[in-house]
Amino acid sequence: MSEIKITGYKCKACGRVHYPKHEQCLTCKGRDFEPLTPDGNARLLAYTQIFNLPWGFDERFLIIGVGEFENGIKAMGQIKADSLDKIKTGMELKPSWEPVRHQYGEPVYGLKFKPLE
Amino acid sequence: MRDVAIIGVGMIPFGRRDQDSLVDMLAYASLKALDDAQLGDKAVDAVYVANMGGGILQHQTAIASALVDRLSLLPAAADTVENGPASGASAVKNGVLAVASGYYDVVLVAGGEKMREVSGWRATDFVATLTHPEVEYPYGITLPGMAGMFTRLYMEKYGLTREMLTAVAIKNQTVGTLNPYAHVTMAITKEGILESPHSVVNNPIIADPLHLYDACPISDGAAAVLLCPLEMAKKLTKHTPVVIAGFGQATDTHTLQEREDPTDLKAVTLAAQQAFTMAGIGPEDIDVAELHDAFTILEVAESEHVGFFKKGEGGKAALAGRTKLGGEIPINVSGGLKARGHPVGATGVAQVVDITWQLRHELPEGRQVLGATYGLTVNFGGFGNNVLSLILKRSA
Ligand SMILES: [Zn+2]
Repeated sequence: MSEIKITGYKCKACGRVHYPKHEQCLTCKGRDFEPLTPDGNARLLAYTQIFNLPWGFDERFLIIGVGEFENGIKAMGQIKADSLDKIKTGMELKPSWEPVRHQYGEPVYGLKFKPLE
Repeated sequence: MRDVAIIGVGMIPFGRRDQDSLVDMLAYASLKALDDAQLGDKAVDAVYVANMGGGILQHQTAIASALVDRLSLLPAAADTVENGPASGASAVKNGVLAVASGYYDVVLVAGGEKMREVSGWRATDFVATLTHPEVEYPYGITLPGMAGMFTRLYMEKYGLTREMLTAVAIKNQTVGTLNPYAHVTMAITKEGILESPHSVVNNPIIADPLHLYDACPISDGAAAVLLCPLEMAKKLTKHTPVVIAGFGQATDTHTLQEREDPTDLKAVTLAAQQAFTMAGIGPEDIDVAELHDAFTILEVAESEHVGFFKKGEGGKAALAGRTKLGGEIPINVSGGLKARGHPVGATGVAQVVDITWQLRHELPEGRQVLGATYGLTVNFGGFGNNVLSLILKRSA
């Protein structure tokens, strides 16, 4: 399994964690950041199952959610599940870095979350 | 700053308009606004065109240059304004600033979009290009998907129910049957979309927990308004002038996930507060509102964030009929985006057209808010990352 290629940015002045990148801190306008990589598992903050997919997807549906990692990075990813039956806000997710779509025949890698019981 | 009046408005019926190009639609709506204004020999000094997708959907750019030529308004200044689904109100705001500053006297603002010539999945992809290109778009997230995540958070935090959202859909599609410009003119019932065994087929999930009838259609359409200084309007127009009493615009983080409270639409609150401060009034003074109900949840959330209701009370208010015509604050008496349709660049301008008709007291029974003096619009861009609010006033 490939490493998770996400970089968060922690403001050195106030500690706010950003993802994606900003040139200035959202809270204090500081410009010095400490790069962070996602740490451990994530907790599910929000999710949906979408059926009308955009151009570029052949799946019947996608389950997409936002997870918060233990070090404060919040990131969107695809949730590996067949339905929403066992999905609950606040549940633990195991992250992985896998193809999330194909563009021009090439896989595009991104974040996936496996729900943990 | 000069007071700015709306002296002409025009709209073409929204829907599927295969026979018309994007510039055709903008031109037809503009001619209606010009005719409505009865400008005489007054020249149009500048044209602002709201459009989001010409470059992507029609492979056509510089739409304002095309429109000003088509209308033979040369050598008027012409600018295209692209601000996602809030392009319409952005263009109106720029037109208002141009007249208020004293630099231009007569300004045409036209908004239009042609979305039906591509397949539904291309149109969905086009709108999704406003999401973050690295941390959202690649995952296949769509605007209905963003709204679905937001809706679940709202349900968990405030106890919002599907029944409340359904009340918004039924209200808007019912009044939409009376709007000759509306794309959707089919009334729906609670039984058909929520209660009967057939409702799971009639009204399938599109982005859980949102269902088909929680979403606006994909539409073609255009709308236009003509602006000038109030003093000039009083001499030129037979209509009761409607003035732009206030406007506001605010932005928020590109992604929903970076907001401290993702159920808090700060840009809506700030835009409305700015508009209220400029107009010198409060939410209780508004007689009629056009809110950006691309999804039923947005009408509910915006009705709270602009201050008509407390947070968490908007769904209950809709269910109790407080936002219907005849209720304490009639919302989307046009049918809203839900029934009128949402050709993205046109929407913010169409809201201003509908409120202008309300404040001129020109609408038929069943749509007219009797004695309306103040109207408010919210045009919601991104997923709440760029929002405008306008307050219009019937000039005494
Ligand atoms: Zn900081």
